[in-house]
Amino acid sequence: MTDIFVDAKGLACPMPIVRAKKAIDSLQSGQIMELHTTDKGSMNDLQAWVRQTNHELIEAKEDNGVFKFIVKKG
Amino acid sequence: MEKVLSITSEELHRKMNSGEDILILDVRNETDYNDWKIEGKKVRSMNIPYFNFLEEDEQVYAGLPKDTEIVVVCAKGGASDYVAEMLMEKGYKTWSLKGGMLAWSQFYVPTTVYRDEKLKIIQINRLAKGCLSYAVISEGKGMIIDPNQKVDVYLDLAKQHHFKIEHVVDSHLHADHISGGLQLAEQTGATYYISSGEVKDTNLKFEPLDRHNRIRVGEIDVEVLAIPTPGHTPGSTSFLINNRFLMSGDTIFVGGLGRPDLGGKAKEWAMDLYDTVFNKLSNLPDDCLVLPAHYADIQEINDNGIVGATLGEIRGNNEIMRNADKESFTEQVAGAVSMEKPPNFEEIVAINRGELQVDAEKAIELEIGPNRCAVHHHG
Repeated sequence: MTDIFVDAKGLACPMPIVRAKKAIDSLQSGQIMELHTTDKGSMNDLQAWVRQTNHELIEAKEDNGVFKFIVKKG
Repeated sequence: MEKVLSITSEELHRKMNSGEDILILDVRNETDYNDWKIEGKKVRSMNIPYFNFLEEDEQVYAGLPKDTEIVVVCAKGGASDYVAEMLMEKGYKTWSLKGGMLAWSQFYVPTTVYRDEKLKIIQINRLAKGCLSYAVISEGKGMIIDPNQKVDVYLDLAKQHHFKIEHVVDSHLHADHISGGLQLAEQTGATYYISSGEVKDTNLKFEPLDRHNRIRVGEIDVEVLAIPTPGHTPGSTSFLINNRFLMSGDTIFVGGLGRPDLGGKAKEWAMDLYDTVFNKLSNLPDDCLVLPAHYADIQEINDNGIVGATLGEIRGNNEIMRNADKESFTEQVAGAVSMEKPPNFEEIVAINRGELQVDAEKAIELEIGPNRCAVHHHG
C-alpha cells in the first residue's frame, strides 16, 4: 500500500515536515506516504500542512508515543 | 553561510518596549497562533506557518517588510531557526527567538511598584501567562506572594535587592499555573503559607494563613484578609499593606471591567468585584492600589509597566453595576463557570496540593498554552 515510508522518529520540529515534504514531492499523484514521528508538535503541524496542500490525510494516530500518518499525494 | 542570530526572550522584550519597529513572525500553525501568541502594545505580529516556506512560492514572502527587523517565533526554536535562515538568505533582517514560546512562557519581568525608605514592592509579571507575583521588601527581609514555578527569578531578585526571603504565601490554590511556593520556601528556609481550606486532606507542609491576622516583614505589617469570592474555594486570601496596597490575588482584577468586549466574563468578574469592592472592602480608601495575581489583556499594563488600579478607579468604573439586575448577573456567573478551564488544570491543582510530583520538564510543559488564568479565574 505504502509507496514511501518516512521515519522521522526522534527528529525535532521542523524536520519531520521537511522530510515529509521531500518524500511526497518524489511521489506520483495518488501514491501513498507513511510518516512516523515522535515530535509532539507534529500531530497538529502535519494536519495543518496537509490541509493547505492538495494531498489527502488518510490517517493520523498515536501509537505508544509514535505519531503515524498516512498521506495520499494530491 | 551566515548563522542565524538568535534573540532571548529578555532581549525581545527589551526591543518590544524600546519603540523599535519590529515584526514578530510566528511560524507555528494557525490554531496554535490564534490560541496563544506574543503580544505587545506596539508590536506587529504575523502568522505564516513554517511549512508554507517549504513550498518554493515567492507569494509567501509578499507581506514581509525588508526594512523592518523580523523576529521569527515558533514553539521551541527549531522551526524559527529554519525559517529565519531562509529569510536571511533572501536579505531580510531576521532574528530567531531562542527556545520559542516554551522559553517565552518562562520569562518573568520584575518592575518596582513602590519604594520608600521602609518599603519596596516589586511586581513580577510573567508576560506569556498573564500571571503576577510580588515581592514585599522591608529592612532586608522579604515576602513573596504567589510565586510561579521558576523560583530562580525570586532568588535572583532577593540577591539583587538585598533581602532575605522569610515568608512565601499563596493567595489561593492556583489552577492555572504551578506554584513555586513550597519549593521557594524550601530553598530559602522561609515559611510557606496557604489557607488551610485550600489544601485540606493533603500532606502538604504549610503554615495555615487563617491562623495569622498579620505577617511581619521587616518594619512592615502585612495584613492577611480572608476574602472568599463566588466561584472560588473559600480560602482565597488578600494582603493589605498600610491601607495603601492590596495584593488581591484572584479576588479583584484591574482591567476589562468597564469594557464590553470581554462579554460574559466581565460580568462574572464584576459580580465578584461588586460584592468585594462595595461591601467587604468598603472601609479602604480610594487611593489604595489594587495589585492582582492575574490580568487578561496587555492593555492592563500601564505606561510604567505595572498592572494595578486604585480602588477609586475600580469603584468608579463599576458604578454602573450598582443598578444592574443581580439575578441576570447570577445567571451569567453560573453560565460561565463550566466554560474554558486553564489547560491541564486538574494536574496543576494536584501538583499544587502536593498530591502529584512531576519532573521539571513536565512541569513546564503542563503550563504551556494560552493565557487563560485571568479569563478563567476559578480556583
